[in-house]
Order: sequence, then structure tokens, then C-alpha cells
Amino acid sequence: MKKITAILVLFSFAFFTDKTDAQSFAATEGYAEFVSNAPLLEFKGKSDHLHGLIDLDQNLVDFYIDLSTLDTGINLRNRHMRDSYLETDRCPFGEFTGELTSDFDPDLHEEQDVTVKGTFEIHCITRDKEITGTIEPTEEGLQIEASWSVLLDDYEIDRPRVVFYELADEQKVNISILLEPGEN
Amino acid sequence: MLRLLAFLFVVFFFAESAFAQLERERVEEDRDVELTFMAPRNINLYTVHHLSGGELHYSIMHTFGEVTGGARNLWGIDQGANVRFSFEYGITDHFSIVTGRSSMDKVIDLGTRFSLLRQTVSGSMPVSVSVVPLVGVNSSSLDFLDEPYSFNERLNYSVSLPIARKFSDNLSLQISPIAAHFNRVGPEINIANSTKNSYITAAFSGRYKVTQITALSWQYIPSFDNEVNNPSNLAFGIDIETGGHVFQMFFTTSQALHEPYLAASDNGRFLDREFRFGFNINRLFGIR
Repeated sequence: MKKITAILVLFSFAFFTDKTDAQSFAATEGYAEFVSNAPLLEFKGKSDHLHGLIDLDQNLVDFYIDLSTLDTGINLRNRHMRDSYLETDRCPFGEFTGELTSDFDPDLHEEQDVTVKGTFEIHCITRDKEITGTIEPTEEGLQIEASWSVLLDDYEIDRPRVVFYELADEQKVNISILLEPGEN
Repeated sequence: MLRLLAFLFVVFFFAESAFAQLERERVEEDRDVELTFMAPRNINLYTVHHLSGGELHYSIMHTFGEVTGGARNLWGIDQGANVRFSFEYGITDHFSIVTGRSSMDKVIDLGTRFSLLRQTVSGSMPVSVSVVPLVGVNSSSLDFLDEPYSFNERLNYSVSLPIARKFSDNLSLQISPIAAHFNRVGPEINIANSTKNSYITAAFSGRYKVTQITALSWQYIPSFDNEVNNPSNLAFGIDIETGGHVFQMFFTTSQALHEPYLAASDNGRFLDREFRFGFNINRLFGIR
């Protein structure tokens, strides 16, 4: 009986230790936007469905977004973006998976510049990517802000070249997300 | 029992500590099929491609003279065009109001478009269906006639029922039963049979996507009028999506640009080169 009690105590210890001293942070409702700044037209595709995970123990950084949730403000443009450019039925997600390559102190409650290195995938094409951003540990978790550029050519995303340049080749991606401890 | 608990402890401990990559999940598993056609119009016909609430669709459509005019007439371009301006505004995601003006017979029309059914990705709904009732008024000066047209006699009506299915990313097909009625007809009206008021036909149309931004399109509208031996309407075109506009260029056997006249107006014979160049420019605006 004592052995059973001991194992149950260990079991509980493992469970509660992991929850209270979490080094993993995750969220499912972060913000992401793709900004197209073409000579004739600037517009943003916005979404509140950014999923993110940072596991400090494993040095894992993982973000993804269902690209069909991007909203440019005009539904027909959304439909063309999904169908003609991003092909979201075939390639539904934009995703980044990598690791922190700069120092980060989760106990220091101030905004810290960080660099992550990994792979960014969109339109079913994966490219190596290094992204700089900030992480701010707060009472609620980790507040992440980052921006980077994506060249549509690099990801074989076709766009009209002859008639009008309404879609910029270089898209700026901005993300903002609060990762909370222990969610996945 | 002890071994089982020990096993659970190990599994649980490592499962909790081994935080893997996030599992990718779509926000909506089933959804409406999109972009069955590139624009609310496919060559001349209304499609099932519906506007969302708050969207304004503007299109300008043209057909010119027959290409048999040769180089001197720039293959019909010099021979005058039928030009149609039209606006469609989405009141809701399923209901929009339509107005347009065609230079042929100077017809001004009003109408609505209802999206009755939407094809779904899962296949739970295999087709999309819309209904488009229109009423038009001929605003031409017809005072030269011995018996001038009253306002009521100037009216024409039509209803079409586009039924479409997107069979693959590339291929979409549509059938549109059309009924049209002209309150008064005569040789002064640009229709093939100046003694026939009512028309029923079924338009077949489709598009095949060649690249992500271009598609081939076609329409065939059989003529069931044996009295004047009017050939059927036949048209082939190409759609180009530019990220904001949809350009549609086509060759068609008729100068007509909207449903009642497509059902009733004169057609050339495609194989005898009695076709003409036309093009549409479609633009969509977000109003709210």
C-alpha cells in the first residue's frame, strides 16, 4: 500500500510540477497579417487564427495559420487569394518551425530581442528562414511580436505580371501573439 | 498493479515533457466551394458566383461588329459596339440587387440575384444554384412608329436559374434555364423573330482553368426558334484574373449581352466567321 501511495504521489508531482513550472507556451488565437504594398494598391490580409508554441525545454518554436482565414476586406479578393494564389485547398497552412538561436531569459520581465532560425512553409514550398522579433515575458505568458518579408517568387506563388501590378511580390508578414503557459 | 502505475507514471511524465510540434487543424473542415467561376459573369451569362454582403460589382461589357468586316474595319471594332454597364450590390451573402444599361435598344434593367444553394467541399451539397429575375425597359426613341410604344409595351422580363458544379480545381460547368418575355415585339426591336414575344432556352457554359490566373470559357445557348432559323449562340473566351480586376475577352455570335436578349436576339454562324469580338471588365469594391 505504501508503494502505491508513493507512486501516486510521484504521479501527482509530475502532473502538477509540469503545470506550475511550465516551460512550454502556446496559443490558438494570435494575430497575423500579410501586407501587400504594390504600386497601385496596398492591402492587408488579416487573421486572428494564428497558432503558436514555444517550448523552452526543447528549444522548439512552432507557428502555423490556416491561410483560408486571411481576410483582405473584400470577399472576392479573398476567394481569388485562396484559390488563385495561395491554393489553400492544396496547401492550407502557412507555418514556421525552428529554434531560438539567441539568448532569452524567461525570468526577465522585459521585451527581449530574439532570433529564431528554422523553416517557413507556404504554398507547399519550404524555405530556410531566420526571423528576428521580440519576446516579452509577462504574468500571462510570453508576448511575441515579429515581422519578416516573403517573396512570392520564392514560394512559387503566381501573380499577374502583365496587366496590373496589384499584388506586390514582397509581402510583409507581421505577427502578434500571447503564448500562455502549458497550452498545446 | 504496481507495474501498471509505474508505467503510467513514465508515460505521463515523458508525454507531458515531450511537447511536440502543434497538430495542424483547419478552422473550418467543411465550407462552400469557391470560385466556381472567376466573376459573377461568364462571358455574358450570370453565374452562381455570388457577391458577399457589402460588395459592389461593376462590370462593363462590349461586343463589336462581326470580324468579317476585315482589317479595314479592324475586324468589327469600327462597326459600333453594344455596351452594357451593370452594377450589382450584395445586400447579404445570398441576396443582391442588380441594375444595368445596354446600348442595344437602350434597355435599362433592374433585378435581383438569390443564391439558393451552395456547393460544399464535402459534397454534402453537389451544386450551387442561383435565380436571377430581371425586368427591363426599352428607352429607345420609338416615336417614329405609327403606333408608339406605351411604357408597359416597352417592358421585357426574364428569369434565369444558373445551376453549376465545380468538378475540379480546373473545370466548372453550368446550365442556366432561361425564360424571357417581351411585352411588345416588332422589327424595331433587336431580336431575331419580330413576331415572337416569349422565349425559353437553356444556356450551357463552363470554364477550364489553364493557370492560376487564366481560364478558358465558353457558352452555348440553343435557339429553339424554327420560324426564323436563328442559329444558336456560341461563344469562346479567356478570363484573366489580375488580383483586382477580372478581364474576359471572347468571340461570340451575338451582339446581345444579357439574358433576355441572349435568348431572343439574332446569331451569326460561327463556322462562317459570323462572330464578333467582345470583352468584359469586372471590378469588385468593398462598400462596408
